[in-house]
Amino acid sequence: MSEADAAVRILLVQPNEVDLHGVGNALASLGASVQVDMAPDVRRALRRIADSSPELVVAHAEGNGETSALLEALRATGPPVVVITADADSTEVALDLFQRGAAECVAEGPAFADLLRQTVLEQIQKWREVTERRDARRRVDDLRRYTADVVQTMNGGLVVLDPSGCIRFANGEAERLLGAKFVRLQGRPLSNSFSNAGEGVAILERALRGGERVRSAESLLRQPEGSTVPVAISCAPLRESSGARSGAVAVFQDLSEIKQLQRQMTQTEKMASIGQLAAGVAHEINNPAGFVDANLRQMSEYAADLQQLWEHVTGLRRAAESGSMEKIRSAAGVLEASIEELDADFLMRDLATAIRESQEGSERIRHIVQDLRDFARPDPDEPERADLIHCVDSTANIVWSMMKHSVILQKDYQPLPPIECFPMQLKQVFMNLLMNAYQAILARGAEPGTVRLRSSDRGEHVCVEVIDDGVGIPAENLDRICDPFFTTKDVGVGMGLGLSTAFSIVRRHGGELEIHSEEGHGTRVEVVLPIKRPVSLPKRRATPRAS
Amino acid sequence: MRGPGKLLLVDDEPRVLSSLRRTLRREGFEIFTAESGSKGLALLEEQDVDVIVSDHKMPRMDGLQFLGRAAQLRPRAARLILTGWNGAVTERDLARLGIYALLPKPWDDGELKAVLKSAYAASAAAIPSRLAGLRARIAGARAS
Repeated sequence: MSEADAAVRILLVQPNEVDLHGVGNALASLGASVQVDMAPDVRRALRRIADSSPELVVAHAEGNGETSALLEALRATGPPVVVITADADSTEVALDLFQRGAAECVAEGPAFADLLRQTVLEQIQKWREVTERRDARRRVDDLRRYTADVVQTMNGGLVVLDPSGCIRFANGEAERLLGAKFVRLQGRPLSNSFSNAGEGVAILERALRGGERVRSAESLLRQPEGSTVPVAISCAPLRESSGARSGAVAVFQDLSEIKQLQRQMTQTEKMASIGQLAAGVAHEINNPAGFVDANLRQMSEYAADLQQLWEHVTGLRRAAESGSMEKIRSAAGVLEASIEELDADFLMRDLATAIRESQEGSERIRHIVQDLRDFARPDPDEPERADLIHCVDSTANIVWSMMKHSVILQKDYQPLPPIECFPMQLKQVFMNLLMNAYQAILARGAEPGTVRLRSSDRGEHVCVEVIDDGVGIPAENLDRICDPFFTTKDVGVGMGLGLSTAFSIVRRHGGELEIHSEEGHGTRVEVVLPIKRPVSLPKRRATPRAS
Repeated sequence: MRGPGKLLLVDDEPRVLSSLRRTLRREGFEIFTAESGSKGLALLEEQDVDVIVSDHKMPRMDGLQFLGRAAQLRPRAARLILTGWNGAVTERDLARLGIYALLPKPWDDGELKAVLKSAYAASAAAIPSRLAGLRARIAGARAS
């Protein structure tokens, strides 16, 4: 028994000066562990009860209705009241008292003291059991309320799953993310809510069957009305106290805002690189536009020449109609002279060439514009299957216009299987890497440098390398180059976001970006990406290391 | 009168050379083309060219470098630069290397033809051009 239980507190309601029927003595004889308080009347008794919450009240039946008032007041909340009745009192009196709420009646008479003591102990025991049960229930209620408060106000969607992966509970945020009220979600498989059911099943299986904790796997939830929400899921198995698996708990973190910011960031960075490219691209468009223009002017001269020839041909036909040999000979002579003068053989040949070259020129302009537009386009919400070589190559084509005078570009492509990715973001990665390579070559001096693009298929992964023979990175900078805003470039050349953006994009794809560099000899950047996007992001941060 | 003038066009873009040749085919020049500075220099070793028109932005040897070296080979030739890169060539570059004129890309046919005609005339008046060549040689020596 704890200390609080040690002292039994009993309140005896009777005038202080008289110990009616020796009740006080009888109670006192229960021992030192019983503390008896006295209250002379009901009013003071109630105040005492409120102040010191005794575990039992003993009162006398003969109280002019006073006892009735006492019983009435304590009926609902206790403590129990033991009423002492006169020996002569009839059973009706006792029944009446019971009806009013008395816990027990003890009649005076032989063995009264023993009976009273026994009753008191019994009642206290009972009362303790009742209050313990009540307290336990209260504690459970409090805990339940507390848990519910925490679960409902937490800044994440919480879903509890049964062993088959069906929803057993969902908090408010989970209702919002899943786009339905709990009543509609209950009993439904959670995997149905994933945009890609296979992926959802895979994540949940790992927790439900594999007993594994999945941390921050990125996925996409599809709401009933069709919109999607990017989320990070953490999932952990639940076990009963016996150790048996009883389902799993999944927590969703809404990534919409983060994704939005990431997209804005990538887009800003992309626009910044387009700004840097503008001069090169303008030149690249200017050249074909220039020669197409010159050709058109020339072709219109050719058209005038052809017009002149056609007039002479018409003259010859008219002469033929006239039937006069003389006229025919003369007209043929004029035509012949004109053919000679205008160099018509060359004209016809060159007209075809000029058309072909001009078509090629406008085709080139179209390609450049297309590549630029592709590059500027923001990514869709969901990853798509794309050819990584196309990403590299179309990006290289844009950058090429800027760097072709200082760089020899070598392409060493091994065909790659399509990968699940955000192609626009990956183009940004290659853009940044190519710009770095270009600037590393410029920084080295006048001689043109070489940039090699190499792709390789590594089974589960694909790899693209950007290799330059530029200035390289000093060893002391190697571990800082992926930090945001770290830059060694002049103001206006770079914001210092290039590599950090590239790192974070590659990481988001579940891939790795490794930089091998030797100062004065060049840099090799390796972008390794999984063919299938992993459900969980790698825990390890890709770190650059010197080769 | 002199015979037909010899004109050398240098541009790393063959389609530009082709359209220039087309535009100038009736201007009375014998036209030579080269797709790089080094090919242009090789041609100048063999041909006594009157007028040289070069692109500026070219890999390995840019237009100014090429025209500087061309002046050493053919000091009499009038040299022009044809470029779409605004600001890539300064007035000082032109003066330093004795370059006859800078023409924009895309060019105006009439202006191009007129400038070439006057350049050809200038190349005939050998003395100022020789001076320019001399100046270019001095500049080249200083640069190296």
